Amino acid sequence: MDQNNSLPPYAPGLASPQGAMTPGIPIFSPMMPYGTGLTPQPVQSTNSLSLLEEQQRQQQQQQAAQQATAQQATQGTSGQTPQLFHSQTLTTAPLPGTTPLYPSPMTPMTPITPATPASESSGIVPQLQNIVSTVNLGCKLDLKTIALRARNAEYNPKRFAAVIMRIREPRTTALIFSSGKMVCTGAKSEEQSRLAARKYARVVQKLGFPAKFLDFKIQNMVGSCDVKFPIRLEGLVLTHQQFSSYEPELFPGLIYRMIKPRIVLLIFVSGKVVLTG
Amino acid sequence: LFFFLSLDVLPRVTCPNHPDSILVEDYRAGDMICSECGLVVGDRVIDVGSEWRTFSNDKATKDPSRVGDTQNPLLSDGDLSTMIGKGTGAASFDEFGNSKYQNRRTMSSSDRAMMNAFKEITNMADRINLPRNIVDRTNNLFKQVYEQKSLKGRSNDAIASACLYIACRQEGVPRTFKEICAVSRISKKEIGRCFKLILKALETSVDLITTGDFMSRFCSNLGLPKQVQMAATHIARKAVELDLVPGRSPISVAAAAIYMASQASAEKRTQKEIGDIAGVADVTIRQSYRLIYPRAPDLFPADFKFDTPVDKLPQL
Repeated sequence: MDQNNSLPPYAPGLASPQGAMTPGIPIFSPMMPYGTGLTPQPVQSTNSLSLLEEQQRQQQQQQAAQQATAQQATQGTSGQTPQLFHSQTLTTAPLPGTTPLYPSPMTPMTPITPATPASESSGIVPQLQNIVSTVNLGCKLDLKTIALRARNAEYNPKRFAAVIMRIREPRTTALIFSSGKMVCTGAKSEEQSRLAARKYARVVQKLGFPAKFLDFKIQNMVGSCDVKFPIRLEGLVLTHQQFSSYEPELFPGLIYRMIKPRIVLLIFVSGKVVLTG
Repeated sequence: LFFFLSLDVLPRVTCPNHPDSILVEDYRAGDMICSECGLVVGDRVIDVGSEWRTFSNDKATKDPSRVGDTQNPLLSDGDLSTMIGKGTGAASFDEFGNSKYQNRRTMSSSDRAMMNAFKEITNMADRINLPRNIVDRTNNLFKQVYEQKSLKGRSNDAIASACLYIACRQEGVPRTFKEICAVSRISKKEIGRCFKLILKALETSVDLITTGDFMSRFCSNLGLPKQVQMAATHIARKAVELDLVPGRSPISVAAAAIYMASQASAEKRTQKEIGDIAGVADVTIRQSYRLIYPRAPDLFPADFKFDTPVDKLPQL
Protein backbone atom coordinates (compact mmCIF):
# COMPACT_ATOMS: atom_id res chain seq x y z
CA MET A 1 0.00 0.00 0.00
CA ASP A 2 2.89 2.26 0.60
CA GLN A 3 3.90 4.16 -2.41
CA ASN A 4 7.42 3.95 -3.50
CA ASN A 5 8.77 7.35 -2.83
CA SER A 6 12.40 6.79 -3.30
CA LEU A 7 13.85 8.15 -6.45
CA PRO A 8 15.57 5.78 -8.76
CA PRO A 9 19.12 7.02 -8.93
CA TYR A 10 19.41 9.66 -11.53
CA ALA A 11 21.93 8.97 -14.20
CA PRO A 12 24.47 11.64 -13.40
CA GLY A 13 24.83 12.68 -16.98
CA LEU A 14 21.19 13.46 -17.14
CA ALA A 15 21.06 15.72 -14.18
CA SER A 16 23.19 18.24 -15.94
CA PRO A 17 20.95 20.39 -18.02
CA GLN A 18 22.97 20.04 -21.13
CA GLY A 19 21.43 16.70 -21.64
CA ALA A 20 18.14 17.53 -20.09
CA MET A 21 17.09 20.30 -22.36
CA THR A 22 13.45 20.74 -21.90
CA PRO A 23 12.50 18.12 -24.41
CA GLY A 24 11.94 19.77 -27.69
CA ILE A 25 8.93 21.86 -27.81
CA PRO A 26 8.01 21.34 -31.41
CA ILE A 27 6.75 24.84 -32.04
CA PHE A 28 9.73 26.87 -33.07
CA SER A 29 9.37 30.55 -32.51
CA PRO A 30 10.64 32.23 -35.65
CA MET A 31 11.84 35.28 -33.83
CA MET A 32 15.11 34.88 -32.07
CA PRO A 33 16.29 38.40 -31.53
CA TYR A 34 18.62 37.44 -28.79
CA GLY A 35 20.62 35.26 -31.01
CA THR A 36 21.56 32.69 -28.49
CA GLY A 37 22.71 31.04 -31.59
CA LEU A 38 21.77 27.59 -32.37
CA THR A 39 24.30 26.15 -34.64
CA PRO A 40 22.03 23.45 -35.89
CA GLN A 41 23.31 20.21 -34.62
CA PRO A 42 22.62 16.98 -36.35
CA VAL A 43 19.64 15.51 -34.67
CA GLN A 44 21.07 12.96 -32.35
CA SER A 45 19.02 10.12 -31.18
CA THR A 46 17.47 11.61 -28.16
CA ASN A 47 18.38 8.77 -25.97
CA SER A 48 19.20 10.81 -22.95
CA LEU A 49 16.06 12.80 -23.44
CA SER A 50 13.78 9.84 -23.77
CA LEU A 51 15.27 8.34 -20.69
CA LEU A 52 14.62 11.55 -18.92
CA GLU A 53 11.07 11.61 -20.15
CA GLU A 54 10.58 8.06 -19.06
CA GLN A 55 11.76 8.78 -15.62
CA GLN A 56 9.55 11.75 -15.44
CA ARG A 57 6.66 9.66 -16.40
CA GLN A 58 7.42 6.96 -13.94
CA GLN A 59 7.49 9.15 -10.93
CA GLN A 60 4.87 11.70 -10.62
CA GLN A 61 6.45 15.03 -9.99
CA GLN A 62 9.34 13.89 -7.98
CA GLN A 63 11.40 16.64 -6.60
CA ALA A 64 14.66 16.14 -8.45
CA ALA A 65 12.91 16.13 -11.77
CA GLN A 66 11.12 19.21 -10.68
CA GLN A 67 14.34 20.86 -9.75
CA ALA A 68 16.22 19.90 -12.86
CA THR A 69 13.49 21.09 -15.12
CA ALA A 70 12.84 24.08 -12.99
CA GLN A 71 16.48 24.80 -13.26
CA GLN A 72 15.88 24.63 -16.94
CA ALA A 73 13.11 27.10 -16.61
CA THR A 74 15.08 29.53 -14.58
CA GLN A 75 18.08 29.18 -16.78
CA GLY A 76 15.83 29.51 -19.70
CA THR A 77 14.54 32.79 -18.51
CA SER A 78 17.96 33.92 -17.58
CA GLY A 79 19.28 32.94 -20.93
CA GLN A 80 16.82 34.89 -22.91
CA THR A 81 17.25 38.34 -21.49
CA PRO A 82 20.29 39.79 -23.01
CA GLN A 83 19.26 43.26 -22.05
CA LEU A 84 20.44 42.58 -18.59
CA PHE A 85 21.01 45.29 -16.17
CA HIS A 86 23.76 43.51 -14.43
CA SER A 87 26.50 42.09 -16.46
CA GLN A 88 25.89 38.45 -16.35
CA THR A 89 27.52 35.64 -18.10
CA LEU A 90 24.94 34.48 -20.49
CA THR A 91 24.22 30.94 -19.83
CA THR A 92 24.07 28.57 -22.62
CA ALA A 93 20.99 27.00 -21.26
CA PRO A 94 18.75 26.33 -24.18
CA LEU A 95 15.59 28.34 -24.22
CA PRO A 96 12.48 26.28 -23.97
CA GLY A 97 10.95 27.72 -27.06
CA THR A 98 13.96 27.95 -29.25
CA THR A 99 15.48 24.55 -28.92
CA PRO A 100 13.41 22.54 -31.23
CA LEU A 101 14.64 19.11 -31.94
CA TYR A 102 18.32 19.58 -31.83
CA PRO A 103 19.38 18.28 -28.50
CA SER A 104 22.79 16.82 -28.60
CA PRO A 105 23.44 14.71 -25.62
CA MET A 106 27.11 14.67 -26.29
CA THR A 107 28.15 18.22 -26.97
CA PRO A 108 26.65 21.25 -25.35
CA MET A 109 24.90 23.74 -27.54
CA THR A 110 27.31 26.22 -29.00
CA PRO A 111 25.84 29.65 -28.71
CA ILE A 112 27.45 32.81 -29.87
CA THR A 113 28.65 33.65 -26.41
CA PRO A 114 31.60 31.66 -25.20
CA ALA A 115 30.45 28.32 -24.12
CA THR A 116 30.06 27.73 -20.45
CA PRO A 117 28.63 24.36 -19.68
CA ALA A 118 25.13 24.98 -18.59
CA SER A 119 25.38 23.01 -15.44
CA GLU A 120 27.65 25.45 -13.66
CA SER A 121 25.82 28.55 -14.79
CA SER A 122 23.37 29.64 -12.19
CA GLY A 123 23.07 27.06 -9.47
CA ILE A 124 19.69 28.48 -8.67
CA VAL A 125 17.47 25.93 -7.13
CA PRO A 126 13.81 26.66 -6.66
CA GLN A 127 12.52 26.38 -3.14
CA LEU A 128 9.39 24.40 -2.63
CA GLN A 129 6.65 26.44 -1.07
CA ASN A 130 3.62 24.24 -1.12
CA ILE A 131 2.67 20.67 -1.86
CA VAL A 132 -0.88 19.52 -2.39
CA SER A 133 -1.56 15.84 -2.04
CA THR A 134 -4.54 13.55 -1.75
CA VAL A 135 -5.02 10.29 0.02
CA ASN A 136 -7.93 7.94 0.39
CA LEU A 137 -8.65 6.81 3.92
CA GLY A 138 -10.75 4.00 2.61
CA CYS A 139 -13.83 4.33 4.75
CA LYS A 140 -16.81 6.60 5.09
CA LEU A 141 -16.43 9.20 7.77
CA ASP A 142 -18.86 11.03 9.98
CA LEU A 143 -17.75 14.61 9.75
CA LYS A 144 -19.75 15.77 12.70
CA THR A 145 -18.07 13.45 15.16
CA ILE A 146 -14.70 14.31 13.77
CA ALA A 147 -15.39 18.01 14.10
CA LEU A 148 -16.68 17.65 17.62
CA ARG A 149 -14.00 15.43 18.99
CA ALA A 150 -10.87 16.49 17.18
CA ARG A 151 -8.86 19.49 18.11
CA ASN A 152 -8.19 22.18 15.51
CA ALA A 153 -11.00 21.11 13.27
CA GLU A 154 -13.66 23.31 11.75
CA TYR A 155 -16.75 22.17 9.98
CA ASN A 156 -19.33 24.42 8.42
CA PRO A 157 -21.58 22.25 6.27
CA LYS A 158 -23.47 25.19 4.87
CA ARG A 159 -20.32 26.74 3.51
CA PHE A 160 -18.27 23.73 2.55
CA ALA A 161 -18.90 20.04 2.83
CA ALA A 162 -15.63 19.03 4.49
CA VAL A 163 -13.85 19.22 7.80
CA ILE A 164 -10.87 21.56 7.78
CA MET A 165 -8.21 20.28 10.14
CA ARG A 166 -4.83 21.76 10.89
CA ILE A 167 -1.74 20.39 12.58
CA ARG A 168 1.24 22.30 13.78
CA GLU A 169 4.08 19.92 13.21
CA PRO A 170 4.55 20.03 9.51
CA ARG A 171 2.36 23.10 9.40
CA THR A 172 -0.38 21.84 7.12
CA THR A 173 -4.09 21.97 6.55
CA ALA A 174 -6.24 19.06 5.51
CA LEU A 175 -9.71 18.90 4.01
CA ILE A 176 -11.41 15.71 5.03
CA PHE A 177 -14.50 14.64 3.13
CA SER A 178 -17.21 12.29 4.20
CA SER A 179 -16.35 9.83 1.47
CA GLY A 180 -13.05 9.21 3.19
CA LYS A 181 -10.90 11.17 0.79
CA MET A 182 -8.57 13.79 2.13
CA VAL A 183 -6.59 16.66 0.63
CA CYS A 184 -3.46 17.80 2.45
CA THR A 185 -1.94 21.20 1.69
CA GLY A 186 0.77 23.43 3.00
CA ALA A 187 3.72 21.08 3.35
CA LYS A 188 7.11 22.18 2.16
CA SER A 189 8.39 18.87 0.87
CA GLU A 190 7.03 15.58 -0.36
CA GLU A 191 8.18 13.73 2.70
CA GLN A 192 6.56 16.24 4.96
CA SER A 193 3.37 16.03 2.99
CA ARG A 194 3.31 12.28 3.37
CA LEU A 195 4.11 12.52 7.04
CA ALA A 196 1.39 15.06 7.61
CA ALA A 197 -1.13 12.97 5.73
CA ARG A 198 -0.23 10.04 7.91
CA LYS A 199 -0.71 12.14 11.01
CA TYR A 200 -4.15 13.19 9.90
CA ALA A 201 -4.98 9.60 9.16
CA ARG A 202 -3.87 8.63 12.63
CA VAL A 203 -6.05 11.33 14.16
CA VAL A 204 -9.01 10.01 12.27
CA GLN A 205 -8.10 6.49 13.28
CA LYS A 206 -7.93 7.43 16.92
CA LEU A 207 -11.42 8.80 16.69
CA GLY A 208 -12.59 5.31 15.93
CA PHE A 209 -12.76 5.08 12.18
CA PRO A 210 -11.00 2.25 10.39
CA ALA A 211 -8.74 4.57 8.46
CA LYS A 212 -6.25 3.25 5.96
CA PHE A 213 -3.68 5.00 3.84
CA LEU A 214 -4.48 4.31 0.25
CA ASP A 215 -3.29 5.97 -2.93
CA PHE A 216 -1.22 8.76 -1.53
CA LYS A 217 -0.59 10.99 -4.51
CA ILE A 218 0.99 14.37 -4.82
CA GLN A 219 -1.20 16.53 -6.99
CA ASN A 220 0.61 19.80 -7.19
CA MET A 221 3.89 21.34 -6.16
CA VAL A 222 4.65 25.04 -6.01
CA GLY A 223 8.13 26.42 -5.93
CA SER A 224 9.67 29.82 -6.15
CA CYS A 225 13.07 31.17 -6.98
CA ASP A 226 14.89 34.32 -7.84
CA VAL A 227 17.09 34.77 -10.85
CA LYS A 228 18.64 37.88 -9.34
CA PHE A 229 18.27 40.15 -12.31
CA PRO A 230 15.39 42.13 -13.77
CA ILE A 231 13.59 40.56 -16.66
CA ARG A 232 12.17 42.26 -19.71
CA LEU A 233 8.74 40.70 -19.97
CA GLU A 234 7.86 42.44 -23.23
CA GLY A 235 10.78 40.81 -24.94
CA LEU A 236 9.89 37.44 -23.55
CA VAL A 237 6.34 37.65 -24.77
CA LEU A 238 7.55 38.61 -28.24
CA THR A 239 9.75 35.59 -28.60
CA HIS A 240 7.59 33.03 -26.88
CA GLN A 241 4.20 34.13 -27.97
CA GLN A 242 2.68 30.68 -28.08
CA PHE A 243 3.45 29.99 -24.46
CA SER A 244 3.36 33.36 -22.78
CA SER A 245 0.48 35.45 -21.73
CA TYR A 246 1.32 38.91 -20.47
CA GLU A 247 -1.47 41.32 -19.76
CA PRO A 248 -0.23 44.12 -17.56
CA GLU A 249 -3.78 45.29 -17.05
CA LEU A 250 -4.81 41.98 -15.60
CA PHE A 251 -1.76 40.74 -13.75
CA PRO A 252 1.68 42.22 -13.42
CA GLY A 253 3.48 38.97 -14.09
CA LEU A 254 3.93 37.00 -17.25
CA ILE A 255 2.26 33.60 -17.27
CA TYR A 256 4.39 31.11 -19.13
CA ARG A 257 2.82 27.75 -19.78
CA MET A 258 5.58 25.35 -20.57
CA ILE A 259 4.40 22.35 -22.53
CA LYS A 260 6.98 19.83 -21.59
CA PRO A 261 7.22 19.48 -18.67
CA ARG A 262 3.77 20.80 -18.04
CA ILE A 263 4.59 23.63 -15.71
CA VAL A 264 3.17 27.09 -15.35
CA LEU A 265 5.64 29.78 -14.44
CA LEU A 266 4.76 33.22 -13.20
CA ILE A 267 7.62 35.45 -14.17
CA PHE A 268 7.94 38.88 -12.67
CA VAL A 269 9.93 41.92 -13.62
CA SER A 270 11.96 41.76 -10.46
CA GLY A 271 13.36 38.41 -11.42
CA LYS A 272 11.28 36.30 -9.11
CA VAL A 273 9.77 33.23 -10.67
CA VAL A 274 7.02 31.07 -9.26
CA LEU A 275 6.72 27.57 -10.67
CA THR A 276 3.68 25.45 -10.20
CA GLY A 277 2.27 22.26 -11.54
CA LEU B 1 -22.93 52.38 -62.26
CA PHE B 2 -22.25 49.73 -59.76
CA PHE B 3 -20.49 46.80 -61.35
CA PHE B 4 -20.15 43.32 -60.16
CA LEU B 5 -19.31 40.37 -62.29
CA SER B 6 -21.96 37.75 -62.44
CA LEU B 7 -21.04 34.16 -62.60
CA ASP B 8 -22.14 33.63 -66.11
CA VAL B 9 -23.90 30.39 -66.65
CA LEU B 10 -23.20 30.53 -70.31
CA PRO B 11 -26.32 29.42 -72.11
CA ARG B 12 -28.45 32.09 -70.56
CA VAL B 13 -27.87 35.27 -72.47
CA THR B 14 -24.99 36.57 -74.41
CA CYS B 15 -24.54 39.60 -76.54
CA PRO B 16 -25.27 38.64 -80.12
CA ASN B 17 -22.22 40.49 -81.39
CA HIS B 18 -19.80 39.45 -78.69
CA PRO B 19 -20.70 36.04 -77.43
CA ASP B 20 -17.63 35.85 -75.26
CA SER B 21 -17.79 39.11 -73.50
CA ILE B 22 -18.78 39.34 -69.92
CA LEU B 23 -22.14 40.83 -69.20
CA VAL B 24 -22.21 43.51 -66.64
CA GLU B 25 -25.23 43.95 -64.45
CA ASP B 26 -26.74 47.27 -63.78
CA TYR B 27 -28.63 46.53 -60.68
CA ARG B 28 -30.76 49.62 -60.61
CA ALA B 29 -32.32 49.25 -63.97
CA GLY B 30 -32.13 45.50 -63.92
CA ASP B 31 -30.25 45.23 -67.18
CA MET B 32 -27.41 43.10 -68.35
CA ILE B 33 -25.08 45.11 -70.52
CA CYS B 34 -22.40 43.82 -72.79
CA SER B 35 -19.07 45.17 -71.72
CA GLU B 36 -17.74 45.42 -75.24
CA CYS B 37 -20.41 47.28 -77.08
CA GLY B 38 -22.83 48.39 -74.42
CA LEU B 39 -25.79 46.60 -75.84
CA VAL B 40 -28.50 45.90 -73.33
CA VAL B 41 -28.86 42.20 -73.55
CA GLY B 42 -31.29 41.02 -70.99
CA ASP B 43 -33.90 42.38 -68.75
CA ARG B 44 -33.87 40.95 -65.34
CA VAL B 45 -37.17 40.20 -63.87
CA ILE B 46 -36.15 41.03 -60.34
CA ASP B 47 -35.41 44.56 -59.37
CA VAL B 48 -33.34 44.79 -56.29
CA GLY B 49 -33.94 48.42 -55.61
CA SER B 50 -36.29 49.42 -52.84
CA GLU B 51 -39.92 49.22 -53.66
CA TRP B 52 -41.20 52.29 -51.96
CA ARG B 53 -39.53 55.53 -51.42
CA THR B 54 -39.87 56.31 -47.77
CA PHE B 55 -39.68 59.83 -46.52
CA SER B 56 -38.67 60.67 -43.03
CA ASN B 57 -41.74 62.79 -42.39
CA ASP B 58 -43.99 60.02 -43.43
CA LYS B 59 -46.09 59.23 -40.42
CA ALA B 60 -47.61 56.12 -41.86
CA THR B 61 -47.51 53.48 -39.20
CA LYS B 62 -47.81 50.80 -41.70
CA ASP B 63 -44.62 50.17 -43.51
CA PRO B 64 -45.57 49.28 -47.06
CA SER B 65 -42.29 47.53 -47.70
CA ARG B 66 -42.79 43.90 -48.37
CA VAL B 67 -39.25 42.70 -48.35
CA GLY B 68 -38.05 43.14 -44.81
CA ASP B 69 -34.64 44.12 -43.49
CA THR B 70 -31.30 43.89 -45.18
CA GLN B 71 -29.87 40.43 -45.05
CA ASN B 72 -26.92 39.64 -42.90
CA PRO B 73 -25.82 36.38 -44.47
CA LEU B 74 -22.24 36.74 -43.33
CA LEU B 75 -23.17 36.39 -39.76
CA SER B 76 -26.46 34.74 -39.16
CA ASP B 77 -26.94 31.28 -40.43
CA GLY B 78 -29.16 31.47 -43.46
CA ASP B 79 -31.37 34.43 -42.97
CA LEU B 80 -34.59 33.04 -44.26
CA SER B 81 -37.47 33.32 -41.94
CA THR B 82 -41.17 33.70 -42.22
CA MET B 83 -43.14 36.40 -40.58
CA ILE B 84 -46.86 36.62 -40.42
CA GLY B 85 -48.29 40.10 -40.47
CA LYS B 86 -51.36 41.35 -38.70
CA GLY B 87 -54.56 40.25 -40.30
CA THR B 88 -56.79 42.77 -41.96
CA GLY B 89 -60.01 41.10 -42.99
CA ALA B 90 -62.64 39.43 -40.86
CA ALA B 91 -61.38 35.97 -41.50
CA SER B 92 -58.25 36.45 -39.52
CA PHE B 93 -59.99 36.83 -36.21
CA ASP B 94 -61.21 33.85 -34.30
CA GLU B 95 -64.12 33.57 -31.88
CA PHE B 96 -62.98 35.80 -29.11
CA GLY B 97 -61.75 38.60 -31.24
CA ASN B 98 -58.15 37.52 -30.93
CA SER B 99 -56.29 37.30 -34.13
CA LYS B 100 -55.61 33.88 -35.43
CA TYR B 101 -52.05 33.22 -36.34
CA GLN B 102 -50.12 34.79 -33.55
CA ASN B 103 -48.44 37.88 -34.59
CA ARG B 104 -44.94 36.94 -35.52
CA ARG B 105 -43.46 33.53 -35.63
CA THR B 106 -39.98 33.13 -34.26
CA MET B 107 -37.37 34.00 -36.79
CA SER B 108 -34.24 31.95 -37.17
CA SER B 109 -34.59 30.45 -33.75
CA SER B 110 -31.37 28.55 -34.11
CA ASP B 111 -29.29 31.66 -33.61
CA ARG B 112 -31.52 33.90 -31.67
CA ALA B 113 -28.92 34.16 -28.95
CA MET B 114 -26.31 35.14 -31.48
CA MET B 115 -28.47 37.89 -32.92
CA ASN B 116 -29.13 39.08 -29.43
CA ALA B 117 -25.43 39.25 -28.80
CA PHE B 118 -24.90 41.22 -32.00
CA LYS B 119 -27.42 43.72 -30.85
CA GLU B 120 -25.67 43.97 -27.51
CA ILE B 121 -22.31 44.44 -29.22
CA THR B 122 -23.70 47.22 -31.35
CA ASN B 123 -25.10 48.89 -28.25
CA MET B 124 -21.83 48.69 -26.39
CA ALA B 125 -19.88 49.99 -29.33
CA ASP B 126 -22.27 52.89 -29.73
CA ARG B 127 -21.68 54.00 -26.21
CA ILE B 128 -18.00 54.51 -26.85
CA ASN B 129 -18.40 55.54 -30.49
CA LEU B 130 -16.57 52.67 -32.07
CA PRO B 131 -16.50 52.63 -35.87
CA ARG B 132 -18.30 50.05 -37.89
CA ASN B 133 -15.20 48.08 -38.80
CA ILE B 134 -14.52 47.25 -35.17
CA VAL B 135 -18.11 46.21 -34.68
CA ASP B 136 -17.92 43.96 -37.72
CA ARG B 137 -14.74 42.40 -36.48
CA THR B 138 -16.31 41.85 -33.09
CA ASN B 139 -19.29 40.18 -34.69
CA ASN B 140 -17.03 37.89 -36.64
CA LEU B 141 -15.06 36.96 -33.57
CA PHE B 142 -18.22 36.29 -31.66
CA LYS B 143 -19.54 34.09 -34.40
CA GLN B 144 -16.35 32.06 -34.44
CA VAL B 145 -16.39 31.63 -30.70
CA TYR B 146 -20.05 30.78 -30.67
CA GLU B 147 -19.71 28.15 -33.35
CA GLN B 148 -16.79 26.58 -31.59
CA LYS B 149 -18.89 26.10 -28.50
CA SER B 150 -15.85 25.73 -26.27
CA LEU B 151 -16.97 28.68 -24.18
CA LYS B 152 -20.59 27.73 -24.24
CA GLY B 153 -21.08 27.93 -20.51
CA ARG B 154 -20.00 31.53 -20.22
CA SER B 155 -22.43 34.37 -20.32
CA ASN B 156 -22.89 35.65 -23.86
CA ASP B 157 -22.50 39.21 -22.69
CA ALA B 158 -19.13 38.40 -21.21
CA ILE B 159 -18.01 36.76 -24.43
CA ALA B 160 -19.30 39.72 -26.40
CA SER B 161 -17.43 42.18 -24.20
CA ALA B 162 -14.25 40.20 -24.50
CA CYS B 163 -14.66 40.00 -28.29
CA LEU B 164 -15.08 43.75 -28.37
CA TYR B 165 -11.87 44.14 -26.41
CA ILE B 166 -10.00 41.81 -28.73
CA ALA B 167 -11.35 43.54 -31.83
CA CYS B 168 -10.19 46.92 -30.59
CA ARG B 169 -6.76 45.45 -29.92
CA GLN B 170 -6.57 43.81 -33.30
CA GLU B 171 -7.48 47.01 -35.08
CA GLY B 172 -4.62 48.78 -33.38
CA VAL B 173 -6.75 50.99 -31.16
CA PRO B 174 -6.89 49.13 -27.87
CA ARG B 175 -9.38 50.07 -25.22
CA THR B 176 -8.54 49.40 -21.61
CA PHE B 177 -10.49 46.75 -19.78
CA LYS B 178 -11.94 49.45 -17.62
CA GLU B 179 -13.28 51.28 -20.64
CA ILE B 180 -15.00 48.13 -21.82
CA CYS B 181 -16.31 47.56 -18.30
CA ALA B 182 -17.85 50.99 -18.38
CA VAL B 183 -20.14 50.04 -21.23
CA SER B 184 -20.80 46.47 -20.20
CA ARG B 185 -22.48 44.96 -17.22
CA ILE B 186 -19.79 42.34 -16.83
CA SER B 187 -17.01 42.65 -14.28
CA LYS B 188 -13.43 43.23 -15.36
CA LYS B 189 -12.43 39.91 -13.88
CA GLU B 190 -14.92 38.00 -15.96
CA ILE B 191 -14.05 39.89 -19.11
CA GLY B 192 -10.39 39.15 -18.47
CA ARG B 193 -11.12 35.47 -18.00
CA CYS B 194 -13.17 35.26 -21.17
CA PHE B 195 -10.48 37.18 -23.01
CA LYS B 196 -7.87 34.60 -22.16
CA LEU B 197 -10.22 31.75 -22.99
CA ILE B 198 -11.10 33.22 -26.35
CA LEU B 199 -7.48 33.72 -27.28
CA LYS B 200 -6.86 30.12 -26.51
CA ALA B 201 -9.97 28.91 -28.30
CA LEU B 202 -9.30 30.86 -31.47
CA GLU B 203 -5.56 30.25 -31.20
CA THR B 204 -4.74 33.86 -31.90
CA SER B 205 -2.65 36.28 -29.99
CA VAL B 206 -2.71 40.01 -29.67
CA ASP B 207 0.04 42.58 -29.61
CA LEU B 208 1.20 44.02 -26.37
CA ILE B 209 -0.27 47.39 -25.48
CA THR B 210 1.99 50.39 -25.59
CA THR B 211 1.69 53.78 -23.99
CA GLY B 212 1.23 55.54 -27.31
CA ASP B 213 -1.99 53.70 -28.11
CA PHE B 214 -3.90 55.66 -25.54
CA MET B 215 -2.34 59.07 -25.78
CA SER B 216 -4.60 60.59 -28.37
CA ARG B 217 -7.74 59.44 -26.65
CA PHE B 218 -6.79 60.48 -23.14
CA CYS B 219 -5.36 63.80 -24.22
CA SER B 220 -8.32 64.81 -26.28
CA ASN B 221 -10.68 63.80 -23.51
CA LEU B 222 -8.74 66.11 -21.22
CA GLY B 223 -8.75 68.88 -23.80
CA LEU B 224 -5.00 69.08 -24.06
CA PRO B 225 -3.43 70.68 -27.12
CA LYS B 226 -1.46 68.71 -29.65
CA GLN B 227 1.88 69.91 -28.29
CA VAL B 228 1.17 68.51 -24.89
CA GLN B 229 -0.05 65.26 -26.38
CA MET B 230 3.11 64.87 -28.41
CA ALA B 231 5.23 65.72 -25.43
CA ALA B 232 3.42 63.18 -23.29
CA THR B 233 3.85 60.52 -25.96
CA HIS B 234 7.54 61.26 -26.11
CA ILE B 235 7.91 61.21 -22.34
CA ALA B 236 6.16 57.89 -22.00
CA ARG B 237 8.12 56.29 -24.78
CA LYS B 238 11.40 57.50 -23.40
CA ALA B 239 10.49 56.34 -19.94
CA VAL B 240 9.80 52.84 -21.18
CA GLU B 241 12.95 52.78 -23.26
CA LEU B 242 15.08 53.82 -20.32
CA ASP B 243 13.17 51.32 -18.20
CA LEU B 244 12.47 53.84 -15.50
CA VAL B 245 9.14 52.21 -14.75
CA PRO B 246 9.71 48.47 -14.70
CA GLY B 247 6.61 46.45 -14.15
CA ARG B 248 4.16 49.33 -14.29
CA SER B 249 1.11 48.99 -16.44
CA PRO B 250 1.44 51.05 -19.64
CA ILE B 251 -1.74 52.87 -18.72
CA SER B 252 -0.25 54.13 -15.48
CA VAL B 253 2.91 55.23 -17.25
CA ALA B 254 0.87 57.01 -19.88
CA ALA B 255 -1.14 58.78 -17.20
CA ALA B 256 1.98 59.89 -15.38
CA ALA B 257 3.48 61.15 -18.63
CA ILE B 258 0.36 63.14 -19.39
CA TYR B 259 0.51 64.59 -15.92
CA MET B 260 4.10 65.65 -16.34
CA ALA B 261 3.52 67.10 -19.78
CA SER B 262 0.42 68.99 -18.73
CA GLN B 263 2.09 70.37 -15.63
CA ALA B 264 4.95 71.69 -17.75
CA SER B 265 2.60 73.40 -20.14
CA ALA B 266 -0.03 76.04 -19.76
CA GLU B 267 -2.81 73.49 -19.60
CA LYS B 268 -2.36 71.91 -16.23
CA ARG B 269 -4.47 68.98 -15.18
CA THR B 270 -4.73 67.50 -11.74
CA GLN B 271 -3.92 63.91 -11.00
CA LYS B 272 -7.52 63.28 -10.14
CA GLU B 273 -8.75 64.46 -13.53
CA ILE B 274 -6.23 62.35 -15.36
CA GLY B 275 -7.02 59.40 -13.12
CA ASP B 276 -10.71 59.70 -13.95
CA ILE B 277 -10.10 59.69 -17.67
CA ALA B 278 -7.52 56.95 -17.68
CA GLY B 279 -9.20 54.75 -15.12
CA VAL B 280 -6.20 54.66 -12.81
CA ALA B 281 -6.11 55.73 -9.20
CA ASP B 282 -4.34 58.98 -8.49
CA VAL B 283 -1.97 57.25 -6.11
CA THR B 284 -0.95 55.08 -9.03
CA ILE B 285 -0.19 58.15 -11.08
CA ARG B 286 1.75 59.50 -8.14
CA GLN B 287 3.85 56.35 -7.92
CA SER B 288 4.69 56.29 -11.58
CA TYR B 289 5.33 60.01 -11.57
CA ARG B 290 7.82 59.63 -8.75
CA LEU B 291 9.69 57.12 -10.87
CA ILE B 292 9.95 59.35 -13.93
CA TYR B 293 10.44 62.65 -12.10
CA PRO B 294 14.19 62.32 -11.51
CA ARG B 295 14.90 62.04 -15.23
CA ALA B 296 12.37 64.65 -16.26
CA PRO B 297 14.76 66.87 -18.26
CA ASP B 298 15.79 63.92 -20.42
CA LEU B 299 12.28 62.82 -21.13
CA PHE B 300 10.84 65.94 -22.67
CA PRO B 301 11.17 66.37 -26.41
CA ALA B 302 13.84 68.80 -27.51
CA ASP B 303 11.50 71.36 -29.00
CA PHE B 304 9.05 71.58 -26.14
CA LYS B 305 8.03 75.03 -24.96
CA PHE B 306 7.97 75.00 -21.21
CA ASP B 307 5.39 77.08 -19.49
CA THR B 308 6.65 75.84 -16.16
CA PRO B 309 10.34 75.04 -16.29
CA VAL B 310 11.48 71.54 -15.59
CA ASP B 311 12.86 72.24 -12.17
CA LYS B 312 9.60 73.78 -11.05
CA LEU B 313 7.59 70.69 -11.86
CA PRO B 314 5.59 69.52 -8.85
CA GLN B 315 7.29 66.93 -6.82
CA LEU B 316 5.04 64.48 -5.04
